Amino acid sequence: MPTVVVMDVSLSMTRPVPVEGTEEFQRKHLAVHGLTMLFEHMATNYKLEFTAMVVFSSLWELMVPFTRDYNTLQEALSNIDDYDKTCLESALQGVSSVVQQEWGASIPSQIVLVTDGCLGIGKGSLQHSLATLNQRNDSNRFPLPFSFPSKLYIMCMANLEELQGSDSLEYLERLIDLNNGEGQIFTIDGPLCLKNVQSMFGKLIDVAYTPFHAVLKCGNLSSDVQVFPRPEPVITDEEIDPLPKTINTDLEVVGFIDIADISSPPVLSRHLVLPIALNKEGDEVGTGLADDMEDENSANQIAGKIPNFCVLLHGSLKVEGMVALVQLGPDWHGMLYSQADSKKKSNLMMSLFEPGLEPLPWLGKTMQLGPITDAKENPYGEEDNKSPFPLQPKNKRSYAQNVTVWIKPSGLQTDVQKILRNARKLPEKTQTFYKELNRLRKAALAFGFLDLLKGVSDMLERECTLLPDTAHPDAAFQLSHAAAQLKLASTGGSEHGAYDHNIVPLQTDFSGRNSDRI
Amino acid sequence: MKTFSESHKTVFVVDHCPYMSESCRQHVEFDMLTKNRTQGIIPLAPISKSLWTCAIEASMEYCRIMYDIFPFRKLVNFIVSDSGSRTLNSWNQEDQNLQELMAALAVIGPPNPRADPECCSILHGLVEAVESLCKITDYQHESRTELMENADRVANRGRIICITNAKSDSHVQMLEDCVNETIHEHNKLAAGSDHLMQIQKCHLVLIHTYPVGEDSLVSDRPKKELSNVLISEVHSVKAGRHLSTKLNQLVQLHFDLASTTITNIPMKEEQHANTSANYDVELLHHKEAHVEFNKSAGEGYNGSSSRENCLKETVTLKWCTPRTNSVELHYCTGAFRISPVDVNSRPSSCLTNFLLNGRSVLLEQPRKSGSKVISHMLSSHGGEIFLHVLSSSRSILEDPPSISEGCGGRVTDYRITDFGEFMRENRLMPFAEPRYCMDGGPEVPLERAKEQLERHTRYWPMIISQTTIFNMQAVVPLASVIVKESLSEEDVLNCQKTIYNLVDMERKNDPLPISTAGTRGKGPKRDEQYRIMWNELETLVRAHVRGSDRHQRVMDCLMACRSKPPEEEERKKRGRKREDKEEKAEKPPKENEHEKKWQESERVKSVLDREKEDLAEAEVIKDSPDSPEPPNKKPHIMVEDTGPAEKSKGPMSLLSLWSSRINTANSRKHQEFVGRLNSVNNKAELYQHLKEENGAEGVENGKGSRQ
Repeated sequence: MPTVVVMDVSLSMTRPVPVEGTEEFQRKHLAVHGLTMLFEHMATNYKLEFTAMVVFSSLWELMVPFTRDYNTLQEALSNIDDYDKTCLESALQGVSSVVQQEWGASIPSQIVLVTDGCLGIGKGSLQHSLATLNQRNDSNRFPLPFSFPSKLYIMCMANLEELQGSDSLEYLERLIDLNNGEGQIFTIDGPLCLKNVQSMFGKLIDVAYTPFHAVLKCGNLSSDVQVFPRPEPVITDEEIDPLPKTINTDLEVVGFIDIADISSPPVLSRHLVLPIALNKEGDEVGTGLADDMEDENSANQIAGKIPNFCVLLHGSLKVEGMVALVQLGPDWHGMLYSQADSKKKSNLMMSLFEPGLEPLPWLGKTMQLGPITDAKENPYGEEDNKSPFPLQPKNKRSYAQNVTVWIKPSGLQTDVQKILRNARKLPEKTQTFYKELNRLRKAALAFGFLDLLKGVSDMLERECTLLPDTAHPDAAFQLSHAAAQLKLASTGGSEHGAYDHNIVPLQTDFSGRNSDRI
Repeated sequence: MKTFSESHKTVFVVDHCPYMSESCRQHVEFDMLTKNRTQGIIPLAPISKSLWTCAIEASMEYCRIMYDIFPFRKLVNFIVSDSGSRTLNSWNQEDQNLQELMAALAVIGPPNPRADPECCSILHGLVEAVESLCKITDYQHESRTELMENADRVANRGRIICITNAKSDSHVQMLEDCVNETIHEHNKLAAGSDHLMQIQKCHLVLIHTYPVGEDSLVSDRPKKELSNVLISEVHSVKAGRHLSTKLNQLVQLHFDLASTTITNIPMKEEQHANTSANYDVELLHHKEAHVEFNKSAGEGYNGSSSRENCLKETVTLKWCTPRTNSVELHYCTGAFRISPVDVNSRPSSCLTNFLLNGRSVLLEQPRKSGSKVISHMLSSHGGEIFLHVLSSSRSILEDPPSISEGCGGRVTDYRITDFGEFMRENRLMPFAEPRYCMDGGPEVPLERAKEQLERHTRYWPMIISQTTIFNMQAVVPLASVIVKESLSEEDVLNCQKTIYNLVDMERKNDPLPISTAGTRGKGPKRDEQYRIMWNELETLVRAHVRGSDRHQRVMDCLMACRSKPPEEEERKKRGRKREDKEEKAEKPPKENEHEKKWQESERVKSVLDREKEDLAEAEVIKDSPDSPEPPNKKPHIMVEDTGPAEKSKGPMSLLSLWSSRINTANSRKHQEFVGRLNSVNNKAELYQHLKEENGAEGVENGKGSRQ
């Protein structure tokens, strides 16, 4: 989940804050202090997060494009100038375009908006933007909700009392509402000071930037892992089940499936599964990311030499071309597989399926998947050349069952032509002739299109008269028989008009005496 | 989409009154003259469909598309109305397919033009439709049962699509009022019933259809809220293809569909097989498959309402001819069932057949400039075709740390191949019929899979240098069998044979594949190697000993056979080495004799070749120069050896070796006298089981400390 830090650099941010001590402090300094703390946290615990920084006043500017280099972000913080007034709408517009250009519309992003709660005046102020919300058309749509999935975190360099005094809180809450309720407002508890800013950013970190630790298990084999990015809670049907589902911290492998069988399944999200070594206090020792600190380096090296189940699993999944099906929660599964980033680098990756009993129709119900040893014979075959997947659906889809559609005249004409073509090749094509004839008959009966039956009957009679002298005598018998049967069907009723009744070829015998037939 | 939106239940009400038998006045030429026909033949007169035929064709097409894309959870109830109403199917999932509907329609047949128009009305059907919407579907029932006290979260909404020929706008209004009233009444009824549900939302789509060339007596009207339950809209449509087009648009609106046209499909020409032309095929699918286009285009995409007014045009994607059939795991963010717009056309069926035969096709976004962007994939799974959405944006996981840089990344001797084998053994398969446990409860196959994984991993060293036994071919027969939930007699025999084989290896001093990595010099001595091997084997077998009595028997055999601990070895050196060896060497042939008798009497056929193996094995052992043991020494040894075995970690006493061997053999036979079973030189020892138990306990204690 990429992060965009959106920093208010309007003049109001330079308002002084009374702080014990001699130095004069501005709200801006508090904000910088808070963000520094956030960046430091990410640099150590959330290193893979891409973060960009946008500053805004009446205009906006992308200060740092998406990066994992937190030093650059830190540096940019110290180079912030002061500008004019606050104009949130254009800033959010900017965020929207920055994110979409980089990640498209489907990757969830986190927006950390840092402001002092002075929302501007006149045109471009948030009050004005919200007041004109109903007068918009497609060209000047308000940027919220963002067109990508997002969380909007608003960090206010002000305390609650201050905000409530000026209606600002109300407007900011409306922003969250406009973002489909996705997000949260943070305010400073108590007087404005460094300590309280820290605790506010601490809360943000707890909400959005704590690494997700889990235990990956396969029977009695297990490994501590970090899952990155953090899997977000999922709501499948807010009406029936409004509680968001979160994934277990025990990720339990339930079995294995060939990549060909799982067949590029749709997934909600995908995550790196990084083995970690936890020390006694439960703190992470190393996630295997390059680190400057020396003691951590040596800890990493020790951890690198201890056999880890993740590495074994990854290696075998890669070699065998398989995925491991993993249980994430009740009726919720995902898969583990080896993902190659380049020729040399590859990783253990986890994708989450949609929660539910049957996330992939071609595997059937997940609960009904069992060990092959329970089967009478190995469904993969002795030579490993078969597979019990994919599961065939009970009913075939229209494109797999030769349905009859006559909406376009060409559809009808093609079907009639097929009959004609076969009629001219009687008696060799007797079987196909009757098959096509019965198909047409069935459809005509269902559509109540009896005129067609009459028409085709006439046509077959005519064909009978047009038969060349060289034609096999059976052709004439079959044609007139078919024509008569169709005519009977066209009158409706009786058994001839029954849907399941099939016209069968006339039993003829030309092997014996010519005159003695049937 | 909500599970129980209006689209969960669709009722079709089609007018079957005499008027519907009128011609739609659109002619179809069905007698097409082809080349090389005799000249001068006048083709048969074109025919035309009735209003009824047009209505049925169009509604069947609506259902076809719906069933293709939503084979489950989207249900249709089909009703025809004339002098009464007739319902062609139910909400049951089994009734939800085209064949059922077509067969039922054939029974109904076309409307009778000579019926009395006065007794016929579409109203019968509309009333029936409302009644039908109150009926609970299996899905609703299931969800309600599942949600228990929250059952009221399961909504009951539905849609009525009525195709009729109305007389005027006021006639239409009368129909709407009637539906409104009927809903009101039935909701009252449903409130007091357990198996009916009140209708919370009903979407009425009234379609007035009339022959081409006539003036419509009814005007179109967009959606209008008639009550807090009923929303109604009116469409006035010419019959024939106009009606089909209308219903095609409606099915797209009702089920949030979008259209994709696959362009540049190379296809062999029917007439000229060596040339190929490029064709386009239009597919329908859920609009989610276009989410990236809708949003990034940024043109007024705000939820669902914008689609109301205009159906978006089709999105064109370019066919990329698949190069190989390589199996790749794509990052796919969605997969949606498709339905071809023109299902029977040659290009459509060529494309669908190609896919149904198991090929996948990547689809490329046509771009004016720049690089090629693959955004979708068409692929079939078990006879169903899906449009997969592939992620084409930058990955947030790019440049991750390689697994070799992380924990355990420096270890180089993982048992990758063995774990691969393990994964193949633990592959999953679908089980159709419900299975039952011993206690009668349903058995969940996935739980069985987890149990199996648990068993198979009770002892599973991850790296080669951590294990001896899994590097030995000789252990495979035992290791592959011991993890099973239950063992057959044959399995037990195989395990025992494996153990004897190891004993034999030890006796012959065969080298073991003990890793010398990390140790200096030549590594442990041979007898130490065997001790390590036996310990590991014991760990493996002990992990499964609680599985069944047969597992226990394998354990017993192992305990009886495994080599002496070092202390005993020393004693052996002090002079009794010879006797020990005699014991060990003599046992297997004896065991073999028992086995053979048993085989002959009870399992003659199946084991002939195994018998040969046994013989061979026996011969190997008989080859040993050791002479038969002098019988009189036996009691002496027993007394001597049981003592130390109890105290020390030495697992084996002669007594336990002897008696367990005898027990193993006899347990397969008929019930023997206990005395004779345990006799030594035909002298039964009393209270023998006491000693055995003591011995076993001693062994267990000894083992515990070693792990």
